[in-house]
Amino acid sequence: MIKRSFIGLTEPRLRCDLVEPGPKEPEAIPIPPRIILLLNEHLDSTKELLIKKGDTVKKGERIFLYKDSNQYVSAPASGTIKLIAPFTGDFGSLATYLVVETNSKQDIDNSFAERASTPDIEIANSYLRGIAGEPPLKLLAESLSGAKSGAININKIVISGIDDDILCTTRQYVLTRFRDELPKAIELLGQLTGIKDISIAMPEALATLSAFNGMNIVKVSSDYVSSLSPMLMDKYLGISFIPGKTCEELGVCFISVEAALALLKAYTEKMPVYEKIITIIDKNGKKSRVCATIGTPIHRIFSQLGVETAEKDRIIIGGPLRGVATYTLYHPVTPDMDTVIVQDSSQIPMVSDYPCINCGKCVRICPANLPVNVLVRYLEATLYQDASDSCDLLSCVECGLCSYVCSASIPIFQYIRLGKYELMKIESEDVEMEAHNG
Amino acid sequence: MVKQNKFTVSHAPFWHDGDSIKAMNINIMAALLPATLFGIVQFGMPALGVICLSIASAMAWEALFSFISKRPIIIHDYNAAVIGMVFGMMLPATIPWWVVIIGTFVSVIVGQQIFGGIGSNPFNPAVIGIAITSLSWKSLFDFDSALVNYQFDFTALDPLGALKHQGPQIVDMFSLSSLLMGGQVGAIGSIFGLGIILGGIYLIIRGYIRWEISVAYVAGIILTAWIFNITDPSKYASPMFHLFTGYTLLGAFFLATETSSSPVNLIPMLIYGAMGGFMTILIRNIGVYPDGTIYAILLINLINPLIDKIRPKAFGKCKRSKQCVK
Ligand code: SF4
Ligand code: SF4
Repeated sequence: MIKRSFIGLTEPRLRCDLVEPGPKEPEAIPIPPRIILLLNEHLDSTKELLIKKGDTVKKGERIFLYKDSNQYVSAPASGTIKLIAPFTGDFGSLATYLVVETNSKQDIDNSFAERASTPDIEIANSYLRGIAGEPPLKLLAESLSGAKSGAININKIVISGIDDDILCTTRQYVLTRFRDELPKAIELLGQLTGIKDISIAMPEALATLSAFNGMNIVKVSSDYVSSLSPMLMDKYLGISFIPGKTCEELGVCFISVEAALALLKAYTEKMPVYEKIITIIDKNGKKSRVCATIGTPIHRIFSQLGVETAEKDRIIIGGPLRGVATYTLYHPVTPDMDTVIVQDSSQIPMVSDYPCINCGKCVRICPANLPVNVLVRYLEATLYQDASDSCDLLSCVECGLCSYVCSASIPIFQYIRLGKYELMKIESEDVEMEAHNG
Repeated sequence: MVKQNKFTVSHAPFWHDGDSIKAMNINIMAALLPATLFGIVQFGMPALGVICLSIASAMAWEALFSFISKRPIIIHDYNAAVIGMVFGMMLPATIPWWVVIIGTFVSVIVGQQIFGGIGSNPFNPAVIGIAITSLSWKSLFDFDSALVNYQFDFTALDPLGALKHQGPQIVDMFSLSSLLMGGQVGAIGSIFGLGIILGGIYLIIRGYIRWEISVAYVAGIILTAWIFNITDPSKYASPMFHLFTGYTLLGAFFLATETSSSPVNLIPMLIYGAMGGFMTILIRNIGVYPDGTIYAILLINLINPLIDKIRPKAFGKCKRSKQCVK
């Protein structure tokens, strides 16, 4: 953990780690006996489930919960469904998880292979959403078909070879390791979407590699917040960020380099890619990389690598500033999981129930110029609308630095995320109300 | 089944820079130490007694109030200790014990706790305490009569009192270097200018006080006193004389910078600090009080919420105004 330096006059400068030179090949984790799949749709007892315990699934087969579902999860390995259960995600969102017992002989579902001869965004969207890196295919498909016309119109794709938190290096690893395949991946993305403006974002230090010659490169500074999408877009792409709008709404689609390469591999091998590369950081800060099948519970990875965990430790999915803590070693590898960190219980900072003492450190460090000291007062009082109107809540780029430096150890970042979520809810309710009345 | 440990689940960020209110307060007290120790050496045991009583009673008041109002007792963060220490430093060494106790009551309870405790005080608590006690028992705060029994090897006159009553010709009786090195009559912690400056610089380097406020405050003092001085040197003392006397340096580094009663944005900090310096001199030169620092601080505390609204445009906001349109 990077602590405050003795000289506190200047704010701490956090730099993103660079991928180590000459990285080792990731260690392959064999397909485990059981995999766990998350499906972003909640169980609804009034509807008839399409699947049940004991059903067999083939590798690559899509699993839908209901006839009218438009969410699906593809089975990364063939096997038998053992359990279908509800699951509560962030802010109480309801989802479903499935446990599949894998079989030793892999049966393969061929429906994608039959349709993979020419790249087509609709086909990709219907089969490849859950592949490694989680390409935003739904969004691209919607943008292209103009389904929600006017809402989203992507005209720029940025393949992201930068990681959005300080210890993470998975994307950089994939970028450098598979750099020779990038031109083909760019070509494929062009064919899929018809979008010509495709660039690759990478740390400045890597951009000098000759393999990237001729590509449209966005060199990004390793200073921590530069790598966050809204900052990157504003600073390097010349597209002004507008508070309250996502990058996608402003026409830029970010796709992780692993996702772009997984799409390429899916089309060349005619088989969706379910092997995800993950960087594991143990308590001593040692980094190792593994290649695990999506759905693998993380304890499998830990035991293979000999990573130890103990009572009261913290397991972080993602980076130290923006990640999510999980309570269970059964948490599965998900398509977008880049980093898993084990934090020793002695390293876990305390949160306090102090009020803000107006020390101003958060205001100094906030890259988005928010008056965080005032904002936290509104948020503590759950005045989300006021927080947005008078403290520019929506300009926040969610870097987490304000909480990192807060003298009073207020969980500001959590308040901010909650506040934004609540605001979104208010807004969508308003829209619904209008639609209803109008 | 793997053995399931109970893991800690909480929200991002999972790192913290390790700073805390307690660390801040310990550093502030450490920074106050040189000036305080000098005062104790200069004024002897009575000074030590005042400082100790002030810190102890401030902490006791906070604990008592927390207990009565059923809030958690958090005196181990040294918030009350800092208030007590700052308050004690502004007292003459001979102050009676009951004034100290009443003063810390006013500082801690009236100045902070009734507003909601730490972080909610609109004014610097110690300054509230001093303002009220010094108005109530004016004679006890007259440094000349208070310290009449001491033998000093320097001009044994309160410089600001002398200036008020006898005019700037007395300034020549004080050498600037002697004032800076503590050769003056005054409150326990306010006489050793160099010690206060060093403590202030230490806190600035550590990032525990905002340098903009201190610098603007000092600049405000020097500029305002200089303007007065050049318009009529026979009536108004020189800027440096003002800077090294009274509570000026304490004000610049320790009173104006109290976190919750001061602004955090750049321009407001500069206005706030400069205003403080300006008002201090204005009160000294035109008002009836010899030292204007206390009232100047209260005044800028008062305008703090109004000026701290001036802040830079948030990310993505300036792009829509004219000058930034691409
Ligand atoms: S998370 Fe905090 S520091 Fe980062 S942009 Fe948002 S308010 Fe500013
Ligand atoms: S860092 Fe924390 S205590 Fe300091 S002003 Fe910001 S919210 Fe308040």
